[in-house]
Amino acid sequence: MRVLLVNDTDKPIGALRQALASAGYEVLDEVAGTAALLRAVETGQPDVVIIDVDSPSRDTLEQLAMLHSHAPRPVVMFSGNGEDALIRAAVGAGVTAYVVDGLAPERLAPIVQVALARFEQESGMRRRLGEVQQALEDRKLVDRAKGVLMSRRGMSEAQAYAALRQQAMKQGLKLAEVAKRILDMAELWG
Amino acid sequence: MSMNGQSPTELPPIELRVAWMPLIDCAPLVAASRLGLDRAQGLRLKLERQASWAAVRDRLLSGEVDAAHLPASMIHAIELGIAGPAAPMAWLMTLNQNGQAITLGTALADALQAGEPLPAVLARLPRTALLAQTFPTGTHALWLYYWLAARGVDPMRDIAALSIPPPQMPAALAEGRIDGYCSGEPWAAVAQAQGHGRVVIRSGALWPGHPEKALACRRDLAALQPERVERLVACVLAACRWLDEDPAHRRQCAGWLAEDGLIGAPAQRLAACLADDPADPQALAFHRGGAVNFPWLSDGAWFVRQFVRWGWCAEGAIDAARLRDIHRLDSYRRAAAAIGVEVPAADTRDSRPKL
Repeated sequence: MRVLLVNDTDKPIGALRQALASAGYEVLDEVAGTAALLRAVETGQPDVVIIDVDSPSRDTLEQLAMLHSHAPRPVVMFSGNGEDALIRAAVGAGVTAYVVDGLAPERLAPIVQVALARFEQESGMRRRLGEVQQALEDRKLVDRAKGVLMSRRGMSEAQAYAALRQQAMKQGLKLAEVAKRILDMAELWG
Repeated sequence: MSMNGQSPTELPPIELRVAWMPLIDCAPLVAASRLGLDRAQGLRLKLERQASWAAVRDRLLSGEVDAAHLPASMIHAIELGIAGPAAPMAWLMTLNQNGQAITLGTALADALQAGEPLPAVLARLPRTALLAQTFPTGTHALWLYYWLAARGVDPMRDIAALSIPPPQMPAALAEGRIDGYCSGEPWAAVAQAQGHGRVVIRSGALWPGHPEKALACRRDLAALQPERVERLVACVLAACRWLDEDPAHRRQCAGWLAEDGLIGAPAQRLAACLADDPADPQALAFHRGGAVNFPWLSDGAWFVRQFVRWGWCAEGAIDAARLRDIHRLDSYRRAAAAIGVEVPAADTRDSRPKL
């Protein structure tokens, strides 16, 4: 696993390098600024970025996370004051974890691992949730299209469903896409 | 002094921690604290400067701070958990309208000004145009994307967008690392002064009177401590009124913002960015008799429609009831009444760009 250290505040992020390396992580050359961060993410493709909670480069990572589901995460922060509530909220969000000041560097590696595992669990859950929602939307579309066929063409429900399936196979489309077309047409004809 | 005519409370002031970013539109918070408008409401604002919007959000959600200076659209993005943590949010009041700008590199700006269509202008570049904003779901991203689309460029396909801290934008443009950006002042003025870029449109021209930064908090605070929240709104609203009362007030505020712990830029430049022109509907406005500050439902609805437009959330992700939970109209109306600021009877306005 590749780790990138962002060193653009007065906190000793760079000092973590040794601990991470001895824990078996591949540690990329540390960066100190947005431009270098973007380059390093592109060329080094880190799995984890460790960045200070007060780094001005954090919003750059937010945009990367929005654009690419494969963007490096979780972002592990190194916080000066390390309030418990802040750490709990961050870890609870699944994407970020905070490492408090004064923590022995050798304890960092397991925290990175936990954070990464949480992130993977979270993104898996989000993906599944997205799939379930999509399936629900699809089913609603199909039901509505069936209704149109039944009321306008006098088909039974089974006939309407068979007609949709046949169109989908003929046109190489998903059932929901055929349903959407039928609904669009129905709207057009009023 | 007291803004509501009552004698200041005998109790020790309640401390409220407010996170903010060093941009000129933090002026109402700074003025509220410097003028003692917080004490008049029995509060003591503890202003905590942050280095990124992500830090502002995280500290707000963790309870490290009570309220925050936020790009208004981030309120709904956090509510929905778009590309980040989700939490119920509250829009207490709008801090300012207008005052942002889209800047392009000089050659591109020249071509655009000469009448070349934007798609052709961007096609001159040897690469996909790289355009920066300040936060993926922030107002600057939305102004930039809206403007691109209105000019025939699909912001989700035809350009590459990135978020960088505004103070780094002029240098990134000068070094050719980006081709343009949308930001607040003074960061457009800096690129223009250095000759590396030119403002192609001010946000006030895109939408005269658009909502920009808001005073936000978590919804539990707004719901469970309404009196505290109303006092907060009253003192910040009084500061907004003070900023629009007299051009000398804005100059005085520029002096405060120039201090090291605040924005730390030359006072003269900040004063130029803060300069007021009440007759110009496109100018940076903090109050305008209260017209600026009301947390219009329709302003939030416009942001959510943009999220839908760019595929960040589903249609109807925030329904009418939830929108009313977010926009604390009652709190605002009570706070405004307490300090004698006029409030609109309607809950919505014609919220849309004029471009």
